[in-house]
Amino acid sequence: MKNETPFDPSHRPWFATYASAGIVADLPAPQHASLAELVQERCAHFAAEQAAKRLKHPAFSCVMPNGMNGRLSFAQVNEQSDAFAGYLRQTLGLKTGDRVAVQMPNCLAYPVVAFGVLKAGCVLVNTNPLYTESEMAHQFNDSGATALVVLDMFADKLPGVLQRTGVKQVVLARVNEFFPAIPGAIVRGVQKVWSRVLPPVTVPHVRLGQALAQGRVTLAATPAKTYWKDIHHDHLAALQYTGGTTGVSKGAMLSHGNLLNNVNQMLAMGATHMEVGRECVLTALPLYHIFAFTTNLLGFLSMGAHNVLVPSPRPVQNLQRAVENFPITWMTGVNTLFNGLLNEEWFTAYPPKHLKASIAGGTALHSAVAQRWTEVTRTPIAEGYGLTETSPVVSFNPLRGTPRLGSIGIPAPGTEVRLLGGDGLPVAPGEPGEICVRGPQVMQGYWNNPTETANVLNDGWLATGDVAVMEVDGFLRIVDRKKDLVLVSGFNVYPNEVEDTIAQLEMVLEVAVIGVNDAKTGEAVRAYVVPHPDHVGKLTAEQVLAHCRQQLTAYKVPRSVVMRDELPKSPIGKVLRKELKAEAQAQASKAR
Amino acid sequence: MITEFETRLLGIMMMVIMLGMGASLTWRDFLIAFRKPKGVLVGMLCQFGIMPLLGFALAMALDLSPGLTVGLILMACMPGGTTSNIFSYFSKGVLALSILMTTVCTLTALVMVPLLLEFYSSMAGLSGEFKIPAANVAQVLVVLLVPTVLGMLLRKLNPNIGATIELLGGFMGIVVIVFLVATWVPRNHQLLAETPWQVYFAAIGLGLIGMALGYALARLLRQDNNRSRTIALETGIQNGPLAVLIVTLSIATTIQQEVLLIPVLYSLFIVLSSSVVTVFFRRIATREALTRDRMKAGALVGG
Repeated sequence: MKNETPFDPSHRPWFATYASAGIVADLPAPQHASLAELVQERCAHFAAEQAAKRLKHPAFSCVMPNGMNGRLSFAQVNEQSDAFAGYLRQTLGLKTGDRVAVQMPNCLAYPVVAFGVLKAGCVLVNTNPLYTESEMAHQFNDSGATALVVLDMFADKLPGVLQRTGVKQVVLARVNEFFPAIPGAIVRGVQKVWSRVLPPVTVPHVRLGQALAQGRVTLAATPAKTYWKDIHHDHLAALQYTGGTTGVSKGAMLSHGNLLNNVNQMLAMGATHMEVGRECVLTALPLYHIFAFTTNLLGFLSMGAHNVLVPSPRPVQNLQRAVENFPITWMTGVNTLFNGLLNEEWFTAYPPKHLKASIAGGTALHSAVAQRWTEVTRTPIAEGYGLTETSPVVSFNPLRGTPRLGSIGIPAPGTEVRLLGGDGLPVAPGEPGEICVRGPQVMQGYWNNPTETANVLNDGWLATGDVAVMEVDGFLRIVDRKKDLVLVSGFNVYPNEVEDTIAQLEMVLEVAVIGVNDAKTGEAVRAYVVPHPDHVGKLTAEQVLAHCRQQLTAYKVPRSVVMRDELPKSPIGKVLRKELKAEAQAQASKAR
Repeated sequence: MITEFETRLLGIMMMVIMLGMGASLTWRDFLIAFRKPKGVLVGMLCQFGIMPLLGFALAMALDLSPGLTVGLILMACMPGGTTSNIFSYFSKGVLALSILMTTVCTLTALVMVPLLLEFYSSMAGLSGEFKIPAANVAQVLVVLLVPTVLGMLLRKLNPNIGATIELLGGFMGIVVIVFLVATWVPRNHQLLAETPWQVYFAAIGLGLIGMALGYALARLLRQDNNRSRTIALETGIQNGPLAVLIVTLSIATTIQQEVLLIPVLYSLFIVLSSSVVTVFFRRIATREALTRDRMKAGALVGG
């Protein structure tokens, strides 16, 4: 270190690491004007490679739990998404910037529809399929979506939602869309007859197949390129809803430029372990979530990778056939997914042998899980950090070199990060402060919400609400969410630290730590522990406490330990502390 | 009586069933089973320990004729069929365990079934024409290994074909039973009407008591609820068509009808009783899952 002021924003102590880790320091400007152009150009390129027999795999496969699968080649993805763009613009008469809600788990229809929306110059509104009617209504009304593409399994909520929103057109897709005839019919038959997950559809709708046929006819007169040729970096690409933690969710406005830059940032960080046209990525996280959307869908597509889509990673056994039948080289996941796999015998006995590296995001990766993952798969697992508001990648652990456990790595190229204290000023080295980010991936703001936007965006700097410390060489270590901090008699306790300590116990499968109101100390630490299936009934609260007393300062030791069968989780598997808090509060008020 | 044509048809259907079973497994499944063999061992103990003993005990307690006894003991010594995997799937059981048990039991059946049959036959004092030659049984089992291996290869070659014949094989198990009911029952309704209650009790009880004992033993050996339910189904559900096939191939026609009675009745009733048990188990499993997972994300896709 030449000087001792690593927290001066103009100084970036992590730059030194870029070179040794094989990362370009200067982020190249995106080669494409829009995501539509990226999809079009890359798919056409790899389709040509395929025709020349230099590339053997399809662009997407979708694998059902019983191993049945369907696939789409690069040429098909391009052709089908063009057709869908034609349908949106010509048949439905949508215009540039109109919002289209897409509500699907991972399936082959997803890339076709999402790319179709982008190629039409429309704005993609990714929607969680498990949303309730009122959550859907809020999101559709807030975004002003006029068209909705939804998987028919979730059509039961439509009558209640449609009359409360401006959605006029409904396109229904199937989970077995683009499957070969016989497996497709079997999957469909099982859904219809056995699992009975196909509700009767009572609202006017069009099937995706019909929509594509209608759109395809229009392409002769108006090629799809017409719709995106004027789309540039500043145009809105997606409204990505977030912030359920504060109650009402807000739409983060992500532009084509945001996402194109973040794709490049993510690829720059993974470059040492990626080869164009040679990767096969396991996509178990939902594509409607920003992590898989940018990383798997956009990032790996632009690498010409084979994307293996799994409709539902729960139970984690659903991944078995995908892992067995495809030469997986890359994986993205969250702590719970990696942990889940490490508790499956078929996985630990035969970890994917082509695997090169994995990325963990979404929530803190417990060091016990990270260590075990590396032992079992003999490949690096890099924890990254990001938010919906940053498209999402902010920082990332370099894959080359010794992984730094518990660190979220260094900022991605082109990203500035500084840590601010309660006074709004940069904190002293080694002190915890709120992560603030500036870079080409930072959103344009919250849709129709200037107040919330002003709360987090200031002069291009995004306040993340996450507290971290920065080491002298620029590596960041998340301390916790600002609002999850537990204040015990005036001392800050970071739930992550306590969770990490408890997770070290072999008898523990999962753990979540929250603060609960306490008459004496203001707040007190409470741990929710899920025992490992092999140790149910054997693990006691006392054992957990004894371990904590050994490892932690007294005020950090949980006041209470609650044993549970399972923890509440978000769709991507993040443990929901707020639900536990609500539960604890409800119990406390009942007791009173 | 079963005609020559029907025996052949039965043989072919059996081949399809085994093809499907082969497609349901990989080499890794075996290797994993041998790495941590407890679950499978418990299952084997139920399959080859409880069931034959139960069959023998029922035959003795009900004082069945030699012809019926050999049928019952043979039925009790059979490994589990692929039908059990379907029921296990539908009852939200531990499918992997079910498949492993079927597989390992079918393979070890090569040795175990002739041995057990020999042992319990002599315990029951069976002799002469009432004794099924062990070599015959082994031969049938060896022949059936061919489609099993073929199924495994097909699955490796193409997962879609594999998953399809896996399902096909499972359903064929039910088709065979429907086939038996359709061809055998109308011709033998007289016999069915004259059959004493003891025979019905043995045919139905073998499955139901087997499930109950299997569950109890699994719980006793510290398997969790869900695994125990899976083991219970796997224990009670035997490979009925295989028993019928073995009888038609190795028992003289004069007494064939009598020997076939219990395997056929068993096959018929096991579909009914396992359906009832499956619905019951499924309800318990759903309730357990609901209390565990209020996020219901697991219900995202039913395929």
